[in-house]
Amino acid sequence: MKLMAMGSEASVYSKGDRVVKIRKRKGYRLNEIDAPLRKSRTRMEFGIMKKCYSSGIRVPAPLKMKEEDCSIEMEKIEGIQFDSKFSTEKMKELGEMVAKMHRAGVVHGDLTTANILLTEKELVIIDFGLSEHTAKDESRATDIYLLKNALKSRHKELYEKAYDTFLDSYSGSIGKEFKGINAHLKDIEKRRRYNEDY
Amino acid sequence: MYVLGIESTAHTFGVGIVKDGEVIANERDTLKPAQGGIIPREAAAHHYRLAPMLLKAAIDKAGIKMKDIDVVGFSQGPGLIPALKVGYQVAHLISEKYGAKVVGVNHCIAHLEIARKYTGLEDPVMLYVSGGNTQVITYQGGRYLVFGETQDIGVGNLIDKIGRKMGMPFPAGPKIENMARSGRKYIKLPYSIKGMDVSFTGMETFVSRIIGREKSEDVSFSLQETIFAMLIEASERAMAYCRKDSLVITGGVAANSRLNDMGEVMCRERGAVSKRIPLEYAGDNGAMIAYTAYLMKDYRQRDLTIKPRYRTDTVEIKYR
Repeated sequence: MKLMAMGSEASVYSKGDRVVKIRKRKGYRLNEIDAPLRKSRTRMEFGIMKKCYSSGIRVPAPLKMKEEDCSIEMEKIEGIQFDSKFSTEKMKELGEMVAKMHRAGVVHGDLTTANILLTEKELVIIDFGLSEHTAKDESRATDIYLLKNALKSRHKELYEKAYDTFLDSYSGSIGKEFKGINAHLKDIEKRRRYNEDY
Repeated sequence: MYVLGIESTAHTFGVGIVKDGEVIANERDTLKPAQGGIIPREAAAHHYRLAPMLLKAAIDKAGIKMKDIDVVGFSQGPGLIPALKVGYQVAHLISEKYGAKVVGVNHCIAHLEIARKYTGLEDPVMLYVSGGNTQVITYQGGRYLVFGETQDIGVGNLIDKIGRKMGMPFPAGPKIENMARSGRKYIKLPYSIKGMDVSFTGMETFVSRIIGREKSEDVSFSLQETIFAMLIEASERAMAYCRKDSLVITGGVAANSRLNDMGEVMCRERGAVSKRIPLEYAGDNGAMIAYTAYLMKDYRQRDLTIKPRYRTDTVEIKYR
């Protein structure tokens, strides 16, 4: 197995035509917190990947989970991280994907452009490490808020156009539920400390 | 060149002086209420009472006269309005009387700048943890961006609230840290992190219910282990995301050695560096304001009033 990437949450290895994601023990965290957390996150992630995959959302096909070592085996995607080759044209496609994922009852929880792969023909959402099964407007809004923040910080010049395109496409796809989501989105922004706008 | 800096965002009034960017005086006094938390107007009264004495102490320590001051910096915010007003008034008074230029400083940025200076780390991710603030900040594209922060109360505030319920005086941090050392049993507590944001009010409710039913040592231990793990996880996420390889922990809660230890372990495991800053510069202090005002000495600022909700990412950084 060859190390491909070391994220904050897990290490990702290449194993033939598969990718293995392993949540390693975090030395800073008490084992009583760390072990159950890693196990439940692994189990949750695998379940969510299966749900997304079967709902037709483009994610790596989940193949095998081992609870003992908190590992997940999945299909290897040939692509690069979206943040390293970012473009606003893809934001429409992303809006539709995220809406579809939300409709399937999943929120990603760490929706940044680094967690989206760009292949020759499409976008693929990866890293469901902080995902949840939920259809709550507030959780959906948090997803969008995280993406907005990521766009603002990493793609500052294109941020406004990218976000507008995304939101147009997302609201169009999610339909009338957008009203509630948007209310929460505004609420989250207000809740941040020291927001000068209120 | 002499720059005097005044800190008065919360319960500490501090006066620092830097000479050509080097700290030569750092005087302060912190209001410690006998019971309960900080009441803003009491903090302000404390600051008004002590301002003349602390100014004099700093000037004497530096071995200069008031008229030698070229620039006077003050904490514009974020902070408590009555407390902020004191720093504002003192700074403008010094400016009028002695002709010093006034510079308004963002309190959070001052924490980061003094941390950079004393650790020698060029471009760290900063975990800034105090009573009112809990932010994960780093430099990107000409600004200090907040990557993660608390969605509700500051972590120091949480610790104080829990401490108060356990009968500890303010600030409760050192007592909780001490008790936690003899804690043996981990009580499972809610671990609440979303992306790089954390939230603490759920924790407050949960822990309030178990106080009295569980040993205070075990409560303190479990509380520290859980909330610090959340903060270190958020910091690690920011480091991975922004591809930065150093961490600084600052703010009043940075006095906690368990938190620092966890930061060091996290950094070691990912091949990064973590450095501690001298305690004198971790909590609120005047030297960090003076030093940051020194960096900003050429700024032309139109708004020199107080900014109680001053956001870190609204300040353009022109000196880096």
